[in-house]
Amino acid sequence: MIQSSFTKTFQDNTKRRVTVDRAGLFLGLLLLFTLPLLVQSNDYILQVFTHALLLASLALAWNLLGVSGSISLGHAAFFGVGAYGSALLSLEQGLSPWITIPLAGLFAAGLGLMMGLICLRLRGAYFALATLAFVEIPRVITGNWDALTKGSLGLVGISGLPTLCVGDWHVDFGAGTTASYYLVFVYSLVLLGVVTFVFRSNMGLALEAIRDEEIAAEAVGIHVTKYRLLSLLMSAFFTGVSGACYAHLVRYIEPGLVYGLHFSAIPMILAICGGRFTILGPALAAMVLYPVDQFIFHPLLPAGHEFLYGAVLILTVLFMPNGFWGRLRNAS
Amino acid sequence: MWTTIFVSGISLGSFYVLVALGFALIFGVTRNFNLAHGELLVLAGYSSYWLWKVWAFPFVLTFPFAILVILLICLGLQRLFSRLRDPIELNSIVLSFGVAVLIQNSMLFCFSGDYRLIRIPMLNQRFHIPGFYISYGQLTLFFSSLIILGILYVLMYQTYLGKALRATIQDKDAAALAGINVAAMGTLAFCIGAVLIGLAGPLYGCIHYLYPSTGNEATLVAITITIFAGVGRLGSIILAGWILGLAESFTVVLCGASWREMVSAVLLLTLLAFRPHGILGKGEG
Repeated sequence: MIQSSFTKTFQDNTKRRVTVDRAGLFLGLLLLFTLPLLVQSNDYILQVFTHALLLASLALAWNLLGVSGSISLGHAAFFGVGAYGSALLSLEQGLSPWITIPLAGLFAAGLGLMMGLICLRLRGAYFALATLAFVEIPRVITGNWDALTKGSLGLVGISGLPTLCVGDWHVDFGAGTTASYYLVFVYSLVLLGVVTFVFRSNMGLALEAIRDEEIAAEAVGIHVTKYRLLSLLMSAFFTGVSGACYAHLVRYIEPGLVYGLHFSAIPMILAICGGRFTILGPALAAMVLYPVDQFIFHPLLPAGHEFLYGAVLILTVLFMPNGFWGRLRNAS
Repeated sequence: MWTTIFVSGISLGSFYVLVALGFALIFGVTRNFNLAHGELLVLAGYSSYWLWKVWAFPFVLTFPFAILVILLICLGLQRLFSRLRDPIELNSIVLSFGVAVLIQNSMLFCFSGDYRLIRIPMLNQRFHIPGFYISYGQLTLFFSSLIILGILYVLMYQTYLGKALRATIQDKDAAALAGINVAAMGTLAFCIGAVLIGLAGPLYGCIHYLYPSTGNEATLVAITITIFAGVGRLGSIILAGWILGLAESFTVVLCGASWREMVSAVLLLTLLAFRPHGILGKGEG
């Protein structure tokens, strides 16, 4: 009797929570969708939120690997290869970004395969250290291959985001901040859909099992290496696509920037702070932390405003190991 | 020419030994990977630079100040690290990564992003031995690394305290069973590590430009040498440092200076790939 009433309360709570979550998600998306109207196309605010959405996509992509329990400190490798791949293909071959952006994702996935071959037999801390070292390889090669990449000078004049033509209907995503904002918004939404699908599929369950107890997972017949590699490849692919979007959005890239520690650190920090075993957490962290950083801390401390990310990361590791969203939704 | 490359490789390697010692000791005793190591090193360099430039202190007298600064920070760090839950190694990486971001941005705030160098003219002077080129700076690095290693060796192998430290490195639980205060050993390791960082940082500022984001490279070097040498092996740390230094200076000559940054990364990846358990392997020497 007690048991069943408990179960009932639990189910009710869960149901209520899911309803609240869905309502919150819907409201949040509605807000983001109408943001250009709300801020009356204020360029600065829109740019910040475009970047926040891009970071959200990076954090979501990072989390595709992070959910298996691996922590990568080297996602800038995929970001940089994606950015350079797409930029070079469109500059040298004159291809449309519609083609080069997915191709850039594939390049990044190829690099992910390389990283997988070297690093995937490592676990935990050693995997993290190996990924930290791994970034140096594409960075130094890109910086030295002057004939192709112009070395440390970087690439300028990259074409803007592409135009979508459906029949007579044209949308030029590169034309203004509002259009770019919507393209990145749609991409992040698609990625959120992919992450939701993966996390709820058998693969998500397998990755969760690997994270909890790898040997037991292997013993019940989960192909550990296959799933870890698959999650790394997917993570690399989408990070590469985000990198390509960044290249066409900012239209200037150089090795120190796109392979910099910044793009390794930020997705990791956002995912861990948001909750790396949750679907929504990483994106939520990006949408909250980056605007806070840009609107509040950047004007206060023009140099060194990114200390915020370090502080938040330290607090999370010490007091909320499951992250903010994980604490709110899973642990209670 | 080859002797020159060899000499500069060995002196670079000696410098790397100094860079790595603090990291290796802290990791050995507490199993915490301190990714903020490079940032601490740069911070020590900055504190020394500040005293030397602004207050016109003689360079040698800036060491105690740098050591003090790092000591205070390391004691704070140790409190943070000791609160970590399992898995300690992985969590320490994430935590210290946050600390690294924090220190890097504080340095950007305090010292701006400009490149700074502690210019000691004497270090660039040539020491006269016919037939090859060797500067006072290179000699300083070589001998200071040997002297510091020597002191550390005496501490670790000739004293009772060193025995307790080595026991903690070998097996924490067994050491605790034998009555060693493992937590105190951890604090002590952070203190000695801080002194080593405080000694290496100002030297770093003499031979390398200081800017807030340069610490990452030093961290990578420290990780590579520590994993190369294996835990608690002073002798193999110097070997690992020399090998890395020689590899880098030969790379600079054969391929160009811009490829140097890849050497330690490739070395670390190779080590991890062929000795997947990293430190469990016997290492070299």
